[in-house]
Amino acid sequence: MQVGYIVKEGFSGFRRAKLSMTAAIVTITISLLLLSSFAILLLNANSVVTALRDKVEMEAFLADSLTNAEVDVIRARIHAVLGVRDVMFISKDEAAKIFQEQFGEDIYRVLDFNPLPASFKIFLQDGYKTADAAQEIHAQVTAIRGVEEVIYRKGLLELLDKRVTTALAFALGIGLFITISSIFLVANTIRLAIYAKRKIIQTMKLIGATRGFIRTPFVLEGLVQGFLGGVFASGIVFSLFHYLEQWADPLSDFLTVEPVAYGVIVVLGCLLGFLGSVISIRRFIGETVVQ
Amino acid sequence: MIDLQDVSVSFDGQRVLDKVHFSLKNGEFVYLVGPTGAGKSSLLRLLYMDLKPDSGTVTVAGFDSSKARTREIPFLRRRIGVVFQDFKLLEDRDVFENVAFALYVTNARRSEIKKRVLLALADVGLSHKRLQMPHELSGGEQQRVVIARAIVNAPPLLLADEPTGNLDPAASNEIMELLMKINMRGTAILMATHNYELVRKFPARIVQLKEGKLVEVELKRER
Repeated sequence: MQVGYIVKEGFSGFRRAKLSMTAAIVTITISLLLLSSFAILLLNANSVVTALRDKVEMEAFLADSLTNAEVDVIRARIHAVLGVRDVMFISKDEAAKIFQEQFGEDIYRVLDFNPLPASFKIFLQDGYKTADAAQEIHAQVTAIRGVEEVIYRKGLLELLDKRVTTALAFALGIGLFITISSIFLVANTIRLAIYAKRKIIQTMKLIGATRGFIRTPFVLEGLVQGFLGGVFASGIVFSLFHYLEQWADPLSDFLTVEPVAYGVIVVLGCLLGFLGSVISIRRFIGETVVQ
Repeated sequence: MIDLQDVSVSFDGQRVLDKVHFSLKNGEFVYLVGPTGAGKSSLLRLLYMDLKPDSGTVTVAGFDSSKARTREIPFLRRRIGVVFQDFKLLEDRDVFENVAFALYVTNARRSEIKKRVLLALADVGLSHKRLQMPHELSGGEQQRVVIARAIVNAPPLLLADEPTGNLDPAASNEIMELLMKINMRGTAILMATHNYELVRKFPARIVQLKEGKLVEVELKRER
């Protein structure tokens, strides 16, 4: 292998075909931006859904007449229910304090007495924050003697369960579409660049160049274009998020980009450039020398 | 060097070569004449195996068309120099790189490539234009670059398809003298042409393609 020649040829596009080189790099950059912004939104949507599910907690209100010992028994029984991660006791006094925090008024001033019952806040294990599991837990806790009523945000859970599945399928469809379009777009741009060189390819064949010898510089060029496209796309994503964090702080709580994502974007770029050039060169290299 | 046995080729049902027999010995110079469209280029394509015969066998420099695999064809082409009417230079690189390309494909060493390219360019009288781009050269000069590229591998056979077709008479003469010089050194040459004046001026064996058949032709003695 003429390594020196192949490397020189692989980078020759920067000198000889600036326009098509730029077009390919820009196309790869745009494709990667589309793909990565979609992936980031999807991944973060998942964390938003998880955050919403985490907010789902149950509260079991207790009868007023219970002794401390009875409360301890109830605590143990709730804890024993499958899917319960933790329970937290809220006494009548604490409930009054929470009331004051929420409404800004002392319940004793309003009513002379405290009607708020003591309760247990019930935190669910991760796999049990679904509508079905929550309903089962709800039923079991309600059945415990001394528990008057159990409330939780049933509607929200049902909504999340139903809509998330549909949304996820829809999002995966869009993701697949963007991915295929990107490969097609990049392959097409590279194909146009190689098409412009098809006479050169035919001449090379005529002089006795093997397919591998002709192909390798083109594939290397594709890799270089993909790498650069990846670096640019990474840079743009990084700058955008940097900007977001500075100017829209609350957003950055929901939208996060793991540092490894930047590496993934560059690797994806290389892959796009590689596939694009391999697919495109195949067509032209098989043609006869004289058309 | 070249041996055609019973070779037939058709395009779209039209027979271009009809049971052609032809042989060319080592070091021989042969003109292939015939009107445009007679099949001269098709015959040359058979020889550098860009085209396969419908029937018969083509043997060139030890490669047999019926046995050679696709991936062996590049190695045949390195044993043949080809010169075209439309030059087929690599327009994106200079004269030196155009000639050197024929050696890059053979994996020759850098120092070897430099030496042989400069020798070939000296042979065709273009050493001083080695850094020019093809489009900066005249037609005659471009054809000389093509010839330098064709001979830089020291092939035993050179195929020339109307090498003077795009050139004025003075440039044509220069190219012919160059081809004759190369032939004198032992390279066999098959040159397709319809320029009978050149054939007369630089006499050699002549074969003519006529209605799909290949026939030997004697040069009429004039003057």
